[in-house]
Amino acid sequence: MNKSKYIWYLFVVIGVVISCKKPYNPAIVSSDNHYLVVEGVINSGNDSTIINLSRTVKLSESVSTQLMTNYTVVVEAEQGNSYTLQSEGNGTYDIGPMHLDASKKYRLHITTPEGKQYVSDYVEVKQTPSIDSIGFIPKSNYLQIYANTHDATNNTRYYRWDYSETWRFHTKFQSSFIVDGGAVRIRRADESIYYCYASDKSSNIVLGSSEKLTQDVIFQTPINTIASNSEKMELRYSILLKQYALTKDGYQFWENMKKNTEQLGSIFDAQPTQLQGNIHNVSDLTEPVIGYVSVTNVQSKRIYINKGQLPNDWIEKYPYDCGMADSAFFSHPKTGYNDVLYYIIQGGGIPIDAIYGPFGLLGYTYSSQGCADCTIRGKVKKPAFWIDN
Amino acid sequence: MKKIYFLNFCFLVLAKLGFAQQNTTVPISVNFQQVTIGQFVTELEAKTGYHFYYNSIQFDSLKISVEVNNKPIETVLDIAFKNTDFHYAITAQRQIFLTRGREIQTKLPAGFFGNKPGVALPVTNQPITVTTNATVADFTDEKEKKVPEATTENKLYEIGTRTNTIQPGKATLSGYVRDGKSGESVVGASIYVTNTKTGVATDQFGYFTIVLPKGRQILSIRGIGMRDTRRQIVLYADGKLIIEMQEQITSLKEVKISAEKVANVRNVQLGVNRLDIKSIKQVPTVFGEADVLRVVLTLPGVQSVGEATTGFNVRGGSADQNLILLNDATIYNPSHFFGFFSAFNPDIVKDIELYKSSIPEKFGGRLSSVLDITDREGNKKKFAGSAGIGLITSRLNVEGPIIKDKTSFIFGGRITYSDWLLKLLPEEYKHSQASFYDLNFDISHQIDDKNNLYLTSYLSHDKFKLNSDTAYSYSNRNINIKWKHNFNDKLFSLITTGVDRYQYNIASFDNPVNAYKLNFDINQTNLKADFTYYLNRKNTVDFGVSSIYYKLHPGNLQPNDVKSLVAPDVAPAQQALESAAYVGDKYDITDDLSLSAGIRYSLYNYFGPQTVYNYAPNLPKTSSNFLDSTTYSKNKVIKTYSGPEFRLSARYNLGDNTSVKAGYNTLRQYIHLLSNTTAIAPTDVWQLSDPNIKPQYGDQVSLGLYRNFKENTIETSVEVYYKRLRDYLDYRSGANLVLNHHIENDVLGTQGKAYGIEFLIKKTTGKANGWISYTYSRTFLRQDNANEGELINGGAYYPANFDKPHDFNFIGNYRFSHRFSVSLNVTYSTGRPITLPIAKYEYGGSERVFYSDRNTYRIPDYFRSDFSMNIEGNHKVHQRTHNSFTLGVYNLTGRQNAYSAYFTQQAGVISGFKLSIFAKPIPFINYNIRF
Repeated sequence: MNKSKYIWYLFVVIGVVISCKKPYNPAIVSSDNHYLVVEGVINSGNDSTIINLSRTVKLSESVSTQLMTNYTVVVEAEQGNSYTLQSEGNGTYDIGPMHLDASKKYRLHITTPEGKQYVSDYVEVKQTPSIDSIGFIPKSNYLQIYANTHDATNNTRYYRWDYSETWRFHTKFQSSFIVDGGAVRIRRADESIYYCYASDKSSNIVLGSSEKLTQDVIFQTPINTIASNSEKMELRYSILLKQYALTKDGYQFWENMKKNTEQLGSIFDAQPTQLQGNIHNVSDLTEPVIGYVSVTNVQSKRIYINKGQLPNDWIEKYPYDCGMADSAFFSHPKTGYNDVLYYIIQGGGIPIDAIYGPFGLLGYTYSSQGCADCTIRGKVKKPAFWIDN
Repeated sequence: MKKIYFLNFCFLVLAKLGFAQQNTTVPISVNFQQVTIGQFVTELEAKTGYHFYYNSIQFDSLKISVEVNNKPIETVLDIAFKNTDFHYAITAQRQIFLTRGREIQTKLPAGFFGNKPGVALPVTNQPITVTTNATVADFTDEKEKKVPEATTENKLYEIGTRTNTIQPGKATLSGYVRDGKSGESVVGASIYVTNTKTGVATDQFGYFTIVLPKGRQILSIRGIGMRDTRRQIVLYADGKLIIEMQEQITSLKEVKISAEKVANVRNVQLGVNRLDIKSIKQVPTVFGEADVLRVVLTLPGVQSVGEATTGFNVRGGSADQNLILLNDATIYNPSHFFGFFSAFNPDIVKDIELYKSSIPEKFGGRLSSVLDITDREGNKKKFAGSAGIGLITSRLNVEGPIIKDKTSFIFGGRITYSDWLLKLLPEEYKHSQASFYDLNFDISHQIDDKNNLYLTSYLSHDKFKLNSDTAYSYSNRNINIKWKHNFNDKLFSLITTGVDRYQYNIASFDNPVNAYKLNFDINQTNLKADFTYYLNRKNTVDFGVSSIYYKLHPGNLQPNDVKSLVAPDVAPAQQALESAAYVGDKYDITDDLSLSAGIRYSLYNYFGPQTVYNYAPNLPKTSSNFLDSTTYSKNKVIKTYSGPEFRLSARYNLGDNTSVKAGYNTLRQYIHLLSNTTAIAPTDVWQLSDPNIKPQYGDQVSLGLYRNFKENTIETSVEVYYKRLRDYLDYRSGANLVLNHHIENDVLGTQGKAYGIEFLIKKTTGKANGWISYTYSRTFLRQDNANEGELINGGAYYPANFDKPHDFNFIGNYRFSHRFSVSLNVTYSTGRPITLPIAKYEYGGSERVFYSDRNTYRIPDYFRSDFSMNIEGNHKVHQRTHNSFTLGVYNLTGRQNAYSAYFTQQAGVISGFKLSIFAKPIPFINYNIRF
């Protein structure tokens, strides 16, 4: 149904031979205003509610956001209870499970240190059905990860997902030695920097709707794609998918934001439009406030994908150019320099293997951090949730 | 011409000789009754031994009656030619020369011609034979005479029943101009009468009517691609004339932008541009496909949102405000390939006319312009055809007579083989398919002198499939029948009926649960009757009625797989009747001042069956203000809109080559294209006005100054205009336009204003020809009515998407020889407005941007130059085939013009991009063959 997307593809198809895309940085246009940005979902279920507050920044600024602390954030029921969130710093406010009454409406009430009041509209509690399954299909040069869900009562209709990915990977070279106290010694198992875990969060808005279907069924809705040569699938990959039910208004907000920030470029795409969230400054309704607060019980599901489940010819591309490991000798055969001292102990090269000659240890092979140290891109410690196969 | 004078000179000498040496001759007896000159001469030659010399063409309408007994030959001839302007001269060598040359007349004795005093003769240098005796000889032609076919320049054609005395006053000459070779009508040929300095142009069927002083007149006839010619007539009374013109054989014709060299100055209309296909074909285009719409974009006052987009914007109007007519059939989507090519076959199109300001009252239904595209008529004399091969399409057209000189057909087809282009693409696009074709088939049939019948039909089809995921197709289908009837020399009618259809469908089949197909179509059935009445020399009255019945299916969504859960969703059909009656008069108040005034009354009825939502008054029409709904039964009139539209223009001549014109017109539009994208897409839906969607209304005042230089070979004009638009549709944020059962929830009525000044210099003849246009124009829109819904830019005016203040075009062609010419095309315009982000923030795991007010910034300016060379094969007229090549380069300088600029997040970071298409010089070649 997304016509513009396909027309855009067509456009690429015809234009690709001769078209070109270049960075474009028009003369700095900026607004001095810093508008409030409210992100988060009021969790009506058995999990904590996290709200992030920030303000917009100028395009030219190097930081991409300005976090707001010291605000007061309260979840208010239309009649009755209110729940005050606790500031965790960095613009994050949270509260444990609230188990909200699904028959009531709730809103978010934000007060700035200067006393400005922002409230969201009262929003109904939308029940999120559980995720039926997460699957994946290898395509020609990428892996398509999809999700299935349904609501037998046909009440949900509008869905949003976000996810966090975690994967285990290893470096190009396995270092068996370590520099310790100005000398090279054998690396202990608990000092290994060969295997690591890395993670990432979704940055695209993923939406789905069964509005036009006879049943509230979401079948193989695309969640994420991973390039076939991605390091993410080198060993074992895991995705934790969170599913949020949305009201129709909420869906439109997210869809609008997606159109405004992810689907532009073609003149067949809709022009940028105003984002209309459900949060307002109480005393100035014209002040733009970015964000849409919805209330739902978030559902989540995790799956793992092993290398063995993917096509054999998918070969990961190592993100660094490593080549062969270099050699460092205690005494270079020609120059006589102590390369071990120079390149490994002082130079930061990671020793990999020992080099033995007829008369014993001559030196070590070594490589750069990028090729031998996984901790620059991940963590050695296995995440708490991780289950090995 | 020289030969004729020489001949006359010879006659003169011989005649003198003859008079000087006249001898008495043998008396003879003859009895001629209504004989032709041939019979007359043969008998006299036999009886007298004299030898006659004469030009039989000059005498072919002469019927001679003489009865004499024993009289000399001089007496016989005297009687025979009495009261005519035929003369004889007898030489001593027993030769008799029969002439009707003017030089000889001057040598004849004074008083031979009895110039009747008091008769207002036309201002003419030639003496006119006026005699008082009308009874002696009866030279009248048969009562039911054939309409004379004027094929030669030097013959004098008589119009009307011949009288010996030319009655004072005026008579109406009507007729038809056709191509002597193919028999096709010559549209837009100008017929200019030197004596009276009046002129007229032939209509779309080659017909013309002009009122002239009776007497002898010389008509200068000029037509596009035709050799200039003239015809000599003696106008006795109202009558008809068929004029045959000869095609200009030189295949590299001059660029003739206007058929009538003085038309731009003399015409009452403002803001009209006519282009013939020859000048269109000279303009280099991408991939070398001659493209009607791309050339329209080079005319002053015409803009588009970007290259390779469907649609164009005329004087601040949106793309759906142009009425695009192909042989009077409405074309809803004039493009192939989502805008890369125009859908009109250049081998079939004859010419185009764009009305930007003075829209004739017979047209209506759109606010901004009328683009009238006319196909050629088939060759009525012999079979012919042409074929062309380009990078993207192949073309074939065939034409010929069905009944010689009466009925002809023309067929044209184009098909693409662009799949090769797709094969060059990366893997993910390789399995895509794209194709299109278009077909034209027209028949024209002459029933008799007074009745002509025309059938025109058009079919275009586009298909696109992306990696077996979603398939798109769209199609125009048009057919119409026209009957042209001449009641008499003064009253003409044209009755047209036809059906126009545009449809598209989208089918998705990748995901079985979501597989769907979506169909849209719009159908209109037209019936109209247009009349032209030449009231008198000063007044030409046009009047008529028209009716369009619309049936629109806004969307039909169906599952496309047995497993599909897609719920069938059918937006109810919309139906309406748009009727109009009009009358207009072109009134020549004096020779210098002309006025064209018309009124068109349009009436629009929106019919059931339909369920219409009612909303609380003076509140935005949103679901929250929904009151109730009313269901109307079939054919029940739900809503009627009506109103007058005025079309006024006036011209005042400031000398022979200069004029000023002013115009005012108002228009109404009842059908809207719903599109919230920058450029219109083929899958945008149309919407009829209903109780919740008001018709659009626009009016325009314009003023122009026109001046021609160097004997009308250089035309210049300056036009200024100011235009207002009302109830133009804009869209709420996040509007959903497809399958929206209540579109009023997502649209906003907007006001607009546009103004500008357009300069045009055209050189129409000579080795170097072409045009230069510059336009300064602005277009602003405003949504300041809180009752409609959200205010855009706080209710202030903001520039429209196609607001490009400066627009410069140069189109030039230089002909080195008849076989080789080069064309250069230079375009510059201000970048179009865009909405840029002014702040950023993080949301949904990524940097996002916050946008400024709408259209506050602009993409970089646009500049492009194209070059092409046209090489013709040899120019022998009689050969089996004629070949030609066109090769050239599009975007010569390779400038990377911004097609769009946008900000999008990639891997969580916002960056700005500028996209250019055709970002390199693109060479092209085209081969054409004519047979």
